[in-house]
Amino acid sequence: MKKRNPLSPYFAYAKKCFLNRSAYRFDHLMNILSTCLQIFIFWEIYRALYGNKTQVDGITITMLTTNFVLSAGLGAVFCPDDYFLPGKIWDGSISTELLRPISFKGRMIAENAGNALFNLIFRFAPICIIAAVFIGLCPPAGLLHALCFLVSAFLGWGVLWAISFAVQMTAFWLINIWSILTIKNVFVRVLSGSMIPLWFMPDWMHKIIAFTPFSSIYFTPVQIYLGQLSFEEIALRCTIQLVWIIFIYAIGDILWKKGQKKLVVQGG
Amino acid sequence: MKDIANLVGMYMKTTAKSWFQYRVDTVLKSLAVFLRESTEIIVIYFTLLKFKELNGWDIYEMLFLYSLIFLTYGIMIIFFTGLRDFGSTVRSGSFDRFLLRPRGELFQIIFVNSDWFAAVGHGSLGVVLFLVSAGRVGISWTPALALYYIFSIAGGVLIQGAVFLFLASLNFFLLETGSLKELLYYNMRRFAGYPISIFHRFIQFLMIYVMPFAFVNYFPAQYFLRKSDINAFPEIFMHITPAVGAVMYLFAYLFWRYSLRFYKSSGN
Repeated sequence: MKKRNPLSPYFAYAKKCFLNRSAYRFDHLMNILSTCLQIFIFWEIYRALYGNKTQVDGITITMLTTNFVLSAGLGAVFCPDDYFLPGKIWDGSISTELLRPISFKGRMIAENAGNALFNLIFRFAPICIIAAVFIGLCPPAGLLHALCFLVSAFLGWGVLWAISFAVQMTAFWLINIWSILTIKNVFVRVLSGSMIPLWFMPDWMHKIIAFTPFSSIYFTPVQIYLGQLSFEEIALRCTIQLVWIIFIYAIGDILWKKGQKKLVVQGG
Repeated sequence: MKDIANLVGMYMKTTAKSWFQYRVDTVLKSLAVFLRESTEIIVIYFTLLKFKELNGWDIYEMLFLYSLIFLTYGIMIIFFTGLRDFGSTVRSGSFDRFLLRPRGELFQIIFVNSDWFAAVGHGSLGVVLFLVSAGRVGISWTPALALYYIFSIAGGVLIQGAVFLFLASLNFFLLETGSLKELLYYNMRRFAGYPISIFHRFIQFLMIYVMPFAFVNYFPAQYFLRKSDINAFPEIFMHITPAVGAVMYLFAYLFWRYSLRFYKSSGN
């Protein structure tokens, strides 16, 4: 008997998602336009805030723009599907999903990875190019920093995915979790630095943020990209990212195991 | 007249009943909308904590400017939820039902459904912002000023209602207008929270003549605050919000009457 690669079904799911996404071109174009507009707004606001100053606390306007573009770009790449599990619980298809001979969680990751790859090529790249041409970006601090940025960005994806995974698991108990997901997204947007650069947060907020995983999502990669961290600090920050991924995933996994026992299938 | 009032009462009762079917979920949903919309406010708060002022506007003046957006949207969505969701009403063919009933189509659309989560979430945020800012921006309130404030709110409601009515009418020709609304309305709304004087001329043009958010909050707020950046615009703009609202709504209504003739049911 021919031995099959145990990962091949997951690659198939990832590929399916990738191809699925290519079908909605207009929607896609609007998405890019909307992200660029958002970046443009931030740029205009900060130009007005800076006035004649070239830098505030050592942060130039180009560094700020880079922060917004990379955060928004990575945000466009990551976008975990918050409604993957809740959707399947609502329509009852979770019962057949659990019977399949592949891991449900594995499939969740695979589909998101397929999406992320699509977004990386067709959203992240155009957004960065448009921003670089029209408003200007900082180049990476060095080749090694650029490589570390890629590693850290990958870990940032892991953190955001784990948060989404853990929160989705509450759907086993609450069924309708639109509100909780919305509140989660508020925390992500405010505390990750994608809307307000964390450099400009007051000290007391930094103390709070240090206890949360949110700055690990975009801000750590951005700081590495800009060369604001030494290599020891980079190693430390990446370790912190990894610890958050493991910690949050573990919580999600406990909920996942308990939730399956609790599962109530509506109709079907 | 009396039976219209009865009918409106009945509609409101059924809407309230359906929304408050799941009480915990309702409270959570309103809270989630409130928090989601607060995101922008939190961002402005932290930004101005750092920079003190934006083009001469301090934090309370900014909040006063923002409060008008939320108050008008909160009131507007009580009436125009049916128009916001009109695309799906047409596509599913349920608009046919409205046509068969012995009342005006627009009357039914306005009173049959209200998104109370959005109304409570946006409205309460608007009230909070107004209460925090109105006493601290140097307005000496007189009955005449208060009256003009109410007229401005009404004008802002009508402007946004007119845009929704116009987009809803387009549904008779286009079937799908979701992304147009996203681009024209919700994207532009992100600009509207800031004094438009900081933006590029092209955006100012859009905000005044295409999707006139400037008349919803910037110009009415300037009527009360008289910040120096108003000098870049004709003085008359500060006084005409109620008129702009009335005229826009009238034109949108005429366009709606005209478009109705082209309705073809999607059902069979």
